[in-house]
Order: sequence, then structure tokens, then C-alpha cells
Amino acid sequence: FTSMFQSIAGNAIIEKSDLQPALKALKDRLMTKNVAEEIAEKLCESVAASLEGKKLGSFTRISSTVQTAMEEALLRILTPKRSIDILREVHAAKEHGKPYVIVFVGVNGVGKSTNLAKVAYWLLQHNISVMLAACDTFRSGAVEQLRTHARRLQIPIFEKGYEKDPAVVAREAIQEASRNKSDVVLVDTAGRMQDNEPLMRALSKLINLNSPDLVLFVGEALVGNDAVDQLSKFNQKLADLSTVPNARLIDGILLTKFDTIDDKVGAALSMVYISGAPVMFVGCGQSYTDLKKLNVKSIVKTLLK
Amino acid sequence: MVLAQLGGSISRALQQMSNATIIDEKVLSECLNEISRALLQADVQFKLVRDMQANIKRIVNLDDLAAGHNKRRIIQQAIFNELCKMLDPGKPSFTPKKGKTSVIMFVGLQGSGKTTTCTKYAYYHQKKGWKPALVCADTFRAGAFDQLKQNATKAKIPFYGSYTESDPVKIAVEGVETFKKENCDLIIVDTSGRHKQEAALFEEMRQVSEATKPDLVIFVMDSSIGQAAFDQAQAFKQSVAVGAVIVTKMDGHAKGGGALSAVAATKSPVIFIGTGEHIDEFEVFDVKPFVSRLLGMGDWSGFMDK
Ligand SMILES: Nc1nc2c(ncn2[C@@H]2O[C@H](COP(=O)(O)OP(=O)(O)OP(=O)(O)O)[C@@H](O)[C@H]2O)c(=O)[nH]1
Ligand SMILES: Nc1nc2c(ncn2[C@@H]2O[C@H](COP(=O)(O)OP(=O)(O)OP(=O)(O)O)[C@@H](O)[C@H]2O)c(=O)[nH]1
Ligand SMILES: [Mg+2]
Ligand SMILES: [Mg+2]
Repeated sequence: FTSMFQSIAGNAIIEKSDLQPALKALKDRLMTKNVAEEIAEKLCESVAASLEGKKLGSFTRISSTVQTAMEEALLRILTPKRSIDILREVHAAKEHGKPYVIVFVGVNGVGKSTNLAKVAYWLLQHNISVMLAACDTFRSGAVEQLRTHARRLQIPIFEKGYEKDPAVVAREAIQEASRNKSDVVLVDTAGRMQDNEPLMRALSKLINLNSPDLVLFVGEALVGNDAVDQLSKFNQKLADLSTVPNARLIDGILLTKFDTIDDKVGAALSMVYISGAPVMFVGCGQSYTDLKKLNVKSIVKTLLK
Repeated sequence: MVLAQLGGSISRALQQMSNATIIDEKVLSECLNEISRALLQADVQFKLVRDMQANIKRIVNLDDLAAGHNKRRIIQQAIFNELCKMLDPGKPSFTPKKGKTSVIMFVGLQGSGKTTTCTKYAYYHQKKGWKPALVCADTFRAGAFDQLKQNATKAKIPFYGSYTESDPVKIAVEGVETFKKENCDLIIVDTSGRHKQEAALFEEMRQVSEATKPDLVIFVMDSSIGQAAFDQAQAFKQSVAVGAVIVTKMDGHAKGGGALSAVAATKSPVIFIGTGEHIDEFEVFDVKPFVSRLLGMGDWSGFMDK
């Protein structure tokens, strides 16, 4: 009874129980937008913690207060803390006379090879010379797939066929790029499940041996709750299985198949939240020009709609 | 199998309810919330979960239950029935017969595992004495024909495809005709990945289906798919006569709840699961024994016998 009077008068102290219904509705909305359950829950908890004990402004409703706090939290999470300017870094590497190396990693079938080709196209648009390294030496057709892209883009490809050690193929590719003065080497790797220890070890070896300039995690916007596990395990395994003191982890995310999910954009949030890595590119189709930058504001708007 | 973990969470929620002395609205809600949470963590579609929750509440209707009724028993039965409904579409899929020509068409989203699974499916039957053959009607993806060709060659399965022809309908028809003449009894047509947002891709799939008249269309889905699963699966079903589902990449960590959504959306059973990249990492999936194992044994046996 009293609380009703207070809320009309404004300046009521917000208690946890006041927040529950609005937060529950918000959590449900986030989950329908394909945010992982664990992440939706954590976000709601942190919004609750930030509001509890605060005064409710005059004539404001709990639900809109919660909405505003969530919007701020989402913007904060999705806005990159580290910004990586690939083009600038490429030019810097070039001045040191070294090729800039990007390794594409991720689970099976998410779009690593296709989006690697899109990144190649994007670099070519900026007058940067590119070489592809066919380091998926396992999956049938993987080498031919990359060769097809190299031919269409008219760029060189370094390949050693199948069943070779991908770490060694990558090293030879980088050496070749130094010789032929390519500005950038894009290294394709085989898809692997984050729980597959031998394959994760092989990936760690490839990264240790070649110290790439950028490790790009490729994840698909279609993925549900597994997004959290994929990102955290790739980072964890790269750290645990590394044989060098300063293990390299995921530097950035390439989010693919954004054209297949309508408004269910939650995977972007799950991936960034769990890894802290920025979304550097968004793949939104199957042709070379379908590569974009993430629009943080529009993601936040869609998530809360 | 990971879906089985779901059984554990559900059993625990029911157990907690059984420990409560009186079952009122609050206890029931808590139990249903726990079950819903487990389903959502496994990527079952939000709406399906909410509907299930509402159905159970309606069926159970605590106020109507006379004092003499065993509330727990009724609640447990309602949950059991709703889960069965979700997992089991109620009718078996078309089963090809050895020695009699069947055409099987594989469809699905990009990268879901169609090409890999086509070969697994062919190999599985070949080992049982069938004469399978593979047709590559994916003229879009770079390296698609090489992929199928290399897989088929390793498994010693005849294949058909082209590096130059760009019309998938033409290749599909030629391939199917060729293998019919060769008396193959299982002609498998692999198609490009596609999604509902691009109408032209769906139209192409419809045309391949119309031209080859498959006996069975299999929807291949990645076990890690989230909330988009239902809408995509339903759109495929609306364009071609999907009759069965195969869930791939079950060797990963994903709980595969999208499969439940796909079953609901296509009203078709899951017939196989993929459990690895290798050709023999493929298991038969039988809905009925699975449901009864999930719900009828272990922790569940208690309430089944009550
Ligand atoms: N709709 C859509 N499809 C995409 C996108 N990116 C990639 N694809 C498709 O996804 C499928 C798989 O792409 P790949 O590049 O072969 O994936 P991958 O991660 O290299 O696969 P593996 O090497 O086998 O692990 C192909 O059919 C691509 O055309 C995208 O942004 N949108
Ligand atoms: N770990 C694992 N990987 C799988 C499984 N099934 C398929 N894959 C992998 O998933 C990736 C994509 O498989 P494909 O068969 O090329 O998928 P697709 O649906 O034909 O792809 P598009 O033709 O581009 O649409 C490949 O790397 C496969 O090796 C599985 O059961 N487990
Ligand atoms: Mg690849
Ligand atoms: Mg394919």
C-alpha cells in the first residue's frame, strides 16, 4: 500500500522485488533474440545490481528505468574497448618489410573460408596485395575451394595439398609472401570443435609457430547457447595448450550469416560479452561484397525491440 | 548424447517438486520454470517452451484437482506427455527399400553438414549391401564438386557432377537418370546451402525437387543452431516436402535443442545424427526408444511406476 503512494509521489527507493517482473520480461525478450540464457541472466543481474537502492525519478516507471539501464549496459558491452585498425596495421607491417598475417579460426562450417575470401576482396579494394594460405589440409575440397577464390580474385595462393601439417604450411606460406612481397597473408584453417583436444592443440601449434598479427575467430550468427562455450573454450585451449610463455588468444570476431537470422541478433552479444573481443566484420551474404562493419546502435535497438 | 542431459535437469526439477510438502501454484511454477530454463539453455525455441509451460498449467489446473487426486502424479504425467509431443512427430519417415530405386534429396542451411552427411548416409547403406550413388547439385559453392568427389572416391561410391554446368536442376536430373539406368537403389542428391530470406534460392530448391521427384527430402541441421532454427526449418518445409531431419556435429558441446524445434516445425522425425567429420561417425536415431530412455528410465522410472 505504502509503496503505491511512494511511486506516485516519485523518489521511491527501488527494491529488488520491484525490479523482478520487468527484468523477467527483458530476459525473455533477449532470449527470443537468441542471446544465450547464461548471458541474458548475467546481464539482468548486473542491471538489477546497478538499480537496487537507487531512487526512482518522479513520474518514471520501473519498466522504463530497467529498459534504459539495459540499453546502457548493452552499448557499453558492444562498444569495443580495443579498436583494431587493420589497414593501418597492414601499412605499419609493410614499412617493416613484413607481411601482415591473419589466421581465421572457428568451428566447422561457420564460413571461415568464404569470409576469408571476402576479407581478401576488401583488402584488394584498398590496394593491398594479398596471398592466401591453404592450411585446411583436412576437409575434402578445402584446397580447391580456396583455389577457386584465388583464381576469381586473381591473387596468389600457397598450397601443399592435403594431409600436411598446417602449422608448417603456414610458415612456408609466410616465407613465400616475404619473398613475393605480398602485404597480407590470409591463413585458412580447418574447422574444429572446441572440445576436440588434438585439433585444438594443432591450432595452438600453428599460432605459436607463426605468431600471426591477428587471430580472427569466425562465428555464425545462427549459433545459440553454444556461442558462449565456443569462444571461451577457444581462448582457454589456446592459453592452456600453448608452448610459449605469452599465448596468443582471439583478437577479434568475424560474425557470419547475419543475413539468415532476421531480428535474432543475440549471438553478437553473447560472443562479445564472453570474450571481450570486438566484432571486426559482419558477413551478410555469399558474395565478395557481403562484408560489413557491426552497427552497435542498431544491434542494441533490435535486441530491445 | 547431449539431449540426454536434458533428462537430468528435468528429473532434478521434478525431484525438487516431490520434496515439497504441499504442491501449490508456487511450487508448480518453480518446477516449470526450471524445466523451461533447461530447454532454453538447450536452444529449444522460446515459443515452444512457453506453450509447453502454458499447456501443462492448463492440464494440471490445481484448483480443479479434487483433494483425493495425486497431484504429483498428474503433473509428472502432463510434463511427460508434453515432452513426448515435442520429440516425436507421431509418424515415421519414408524408409527406402533395398533393391528398389529411391531418390533422396538433402537440403539445409549453409554449412550445416549436407555434403558430409550425404556421403555418410550413402556409406552407411553401402555397408549394408545397397548400391548408393551421389549427385552433386551444388553448382554454387566454391569447391563443392571437388568436396563430394573426394568424399565419394574415398568411400568408393559412384558420383555425378560437373565443373562447368551452372544449372543445378539440369545436373540433378542427369545424375538421377544416369544412376537409375545403372540400377542404383539409393540415389542421393546433394544441394547448395540456402536460407529462407533469399527467395531465389528457395525457388531453385523447389525446382530441383520438382525435377527429380525425391522419395524423401532430408533437412540437415547443425546441432548448435539457436532461436532461428524453427523459422528456418518451417520455411524449408513450406517449400519442399521435408520428411526427415538429420542433426549434425553432435560431437560438439551443443545440446541440440534446435533439433526439437526442427521436429516441431517440420513434423518429421530425426533419423540420424552426425558425431564427427569422418565418414563412419554417424548414428541411427530412433525417436521412440530415445524418448522412452530419456523419460522412462533412470530417474524417471520412479514416477512411471507410481
Ligand atoms: N548466407 C550466408 N552464407 C554464408 C556466409 N558466409 C559463409 N556462408 C556460407 O556458409 C557455407 C560454409 O562456408 P565455408 O566458408 O566453407 O565455411 P568454413 O567455416 O570454411 O567450413 P569448414 O572449413 O568446413 O569448417 C558456404 O555455403 C558459404 O557460402 C554469410 O555471411 N551468409
Ligand atoms: N565435428 C563435426 N563436423 C561435421 C559433422 N558433419 C559435418 N561436419 C563438418 O562441417 C563442415 C561443413 O560441412 P559440409 O558438409 O561442407 O556442409 P554443407 O551443408 O554441405 O555446406 P554448404 O554446401 O556450404 O551449405 C565441414 O567442416 C564438415 O567436416 C559432424 O557430425 N561433426
Ligand atoms: Mg573452410
Ligand atoms: Mg555442401
